[in-house]
Amino acid sequence: MSYISCKNVYLRYENTSVVEDLSFNVEAGDYLCIVGENGSGKSTLIKSILGLKETASGHLHFGDGVTSKNIGYLPQQTTAQKDFPASVYEVVLSGCIGRKGGRIFFSKQQKKLAAENMEKLDILPLKNKCYRELSGGQQQRVLLARALCAADKMILLDEPVTGLDPVVTAEFYALLKKINKQYGITVIMVSHDLFAAVNNATHILHLKNKGSFFGETAEYLESDIYKYFSGGEHND
Amino acid sequence: MTDAISLLFSQEFLSRALIVGVLISLCCALLGVSLVLKRFSMIGDGLSHVGFGAMAIGAAAGVAPLYFALPIVIVAAFLLLRMSEKGKIKGDAAIALISTGALAVGVMVTSMTTGMNVDIYNYMFGSILTMGEGDVVISSVLSLCVIGLFIIFYREIFAVTFDENFAKATGTKASAYNMLIAALTAVTIVIGMKMMGALLISSLIIFPTVSSMRLCKSFRSVVTFSSVISVLCFLSGLILSIKYEAPTGASVVCVNIFLLGVLSLVRHIKLANIKISLKCLAIAVTAVLSLSFFIFAMMQGETYEYKKDKTTIVATSFAPYDFARQIAGENAEVIMLLAPGEESHTYEPTPGDIMKIQQCDLFVYGGGESESWVDSILDSFDEAINTVKMMDVVELYEEEHNHSEEEHHHEDGEYDEHVWTSPLNAVEIVEAISFSLQQTDNENAQVYAETTEKYLTELRKLDAAFVSMISASAKNKIVIGDRFPLMYFTERYGLGYESAFPGCSAQTEANPATISRLIDAVKNENISTVFKVDLSKGSVAFTISEAADTAVGTLYSCHVISAEDFEAGETYVSLMKRNYEALKRALN
Repeated sequence: MSYISCKNVYLRYENTSVVEDLSFNVEAGDYLCIVGENGSGKSTLIKSILGLKETASGHLHFGDGVTSKNIGYLPQQTTAQKDFPASVYEVVLSGCIGRKGGRIFFSKQQKKLAAENMEKLDILPLKNKCYRELSGGQQQRVLLARALCAADKMILLDEPVTGLDPVVTAEFYALLKKINKQYGITVIMVSHDLFAAVNNATHILHLKNKGSFFGETAEYLESDIYKYFSGGEHND
Repeated sequence: MTDAISLLFSQEFLSRALIVGVLISLCCALLGVSLVLKRFSMIGDGLSHVGFGAMAIGAAAGVAPLYFALPIVIVAAFLLLRMSEKGKIKGDAAIALISTGALAVGVMVTSMTTGMNVDIYNYMFGSILTMGEGDVVISSVLSLCVIGLFIIFYREIFAVTFDENFAKATGTKASAYNMLIAALTAVTIVIGMKMMGALLISSLIIFPTVSSMRLCKSFRSVVTFSSVISVLCFLSGLILSIKYEAPTGASVVCVNIFLLGVLSLVRHIKLANIKISLKCLAIAVTAVLSLSFFIFAMMQGETYEYKKDKTTIVATSFAPYDFARQIAGENAEVIMLLAPGEESHTYEPTPGDIMKIQQCDLFVYGGGESESWVDSILDSFDEAINTVKMMDVVELYEEEHNHSEEEHHHEDGEYDEHVWTSPLNAVEIVEAISFSLQQTDNENAQVYAETTEKYLTELRKLDAAFVSMISASAKNKIVIGDRFPLMYFTERYGLGYESAFPGCSAQTEANPATISRLIDAVKNENISTVFKVDLSKGSVAFTISEAADTAVGTLYSCHVISAEDFEAGETYVSLMKRNYEALKRALN
């Protein structure tokens, strides 16, 4: 059974239909990139997967033991976060909020999990630093560590490299690949960066209002939609 | 200093204010962190305006305002939250709409009911005197609930505040926590409003958080530090307000402003020095402590003891002050609570005033509606003090409303409190004051009896002069384009009158119907002078005088005296003589 199965789904954004008749599956260990033009419904789809938005019609659900409690989410940054006075440790630990259940405090294991994830992403030395004083790349690592605290099985990222410089962006992609390969965590990422997507992902979902493409990266590279889209970008 | 502190604990109403104030400051600081960081600061502001409107309606309907306002403000909180969440642009406009709307409704309701101007002023700017015992119990319970819930759900509140979408995605019911915070904020605002005032309460929510954000680098330290700041600022503000006899709410806000300035400065210095992550807290705490010490130091040497070698008489307004002064001469210290030129109908005693009352040997007050605070204060004293209530001494008339066409919904049996405006009443009041004074200060009883006799003769002469002047006058009616505090005077001499508002109205803008009625009266009676009351701007009187081509004269109520007249040493008798001259000209 698939981690996510999506069948004949229709998505709306503020009363306009953005995606029609969408079907795809995400299996354990996949690295799926969701690409498409601005307004093609990428963030809406992510939110629908997470259950933050309802689909207009169709079937979209988790399977194989995946629930909202074991997926991690790395949303787009909000303006409020830019001057938020919180330490790195506090932010990462808040990723365990879904695991806390009815207890008031975080357990020892949860605190250990937060420390491990900071270790994995090389941000342990930043533990007591203030989130708002970090660089953009460091902030994304902190949010990624938080997402990992929430996730056993799968993480979803919404344009995580926006505003990062090329070197930091490349580092971040390497980190994601490591998480996917080494820790066996399924990755779903919304991206503007088509070339990075085809270089890293195992699967591509190219969203369009009608006739979205879904398939393995190799198939996508052969498709008309990729040729048209990448050609269009080259001509810019 | 010791005096101010011991005052805090010895006066029941002050210790009540202290308890509720500390709890409210704590609640505000905790909730404020979440609201400010989520960009919801304006919700606090909006809610306080809704609270004001609700309290005004509650007071008008005769329901205990706290119970009435609580559910309304909670509902408004949910409403505002929904609006803010739906769309960012709509959100702030919606808050402005709701808060100004609620304020307008509150003012409308107030204007339709007289006799609650004092209450409204209190709701707007707060009063520490309004804390009854029941209020303390309710406030304490509610505040403890707020604090408890905040501690229990601290981690969830952090997650939702930092990143609502993430929290939702991991299965946290973010909207439930948002609603919880909104409801707790509503409760806190309603409780805090009575003390801090509707216009100032939201500052308690915003200032401590913004101040601590200057320096703190983690959420926990922001929460801790803003709680500490909030409570310390409240205490400093309270002590300041006692020392400088200033309103408590405004004092607390001023201390907060000062601290924000200091901390911003510290942050600037810190940026230049870099890397003082942990020390910053120490610096900030020092700043707060030094501030409080600064205040405490200023309190030192300040005492609330009065010249106890002399008998002390405290009077609320000018007329009783002058009566007591005439009787006592040099033998007693006479204190007037209403400062010269101060608005009498919105006056509220400061903690220092209350100390003066408590320590005096004789307290003279009117007992009318604008002095409704007197009873609660007298009740709060452990030992009863000697008092003379002027409205108990003379025959009372109900406040006149027939002469005002503006519909006022009025309870029956509301008496005009300006009893001293008739010199004959003044005679009775002076006799009562003198009697009490002779009982209190036995040593000087003989002296008091003699001065009283002399003064009474003067007052009787004044009365006789009015009688003969008015009975000999050509006209027998006056028109006052103002509120009318001289009813006892006109009744005494059988003088007819038309006025714009009743005696105690705080209104100064008449509607067109009232003005045209007064203009007609002036024309019909062939009146040459329209009167205004001392210290009033007289806008209505001037409008009439322009339309009907009359002069404008001034009548003195002797309730409050202007600063110049006070400096010049004017008395009840000298002001009444001005009334005599003015009336003589107007009636002939």
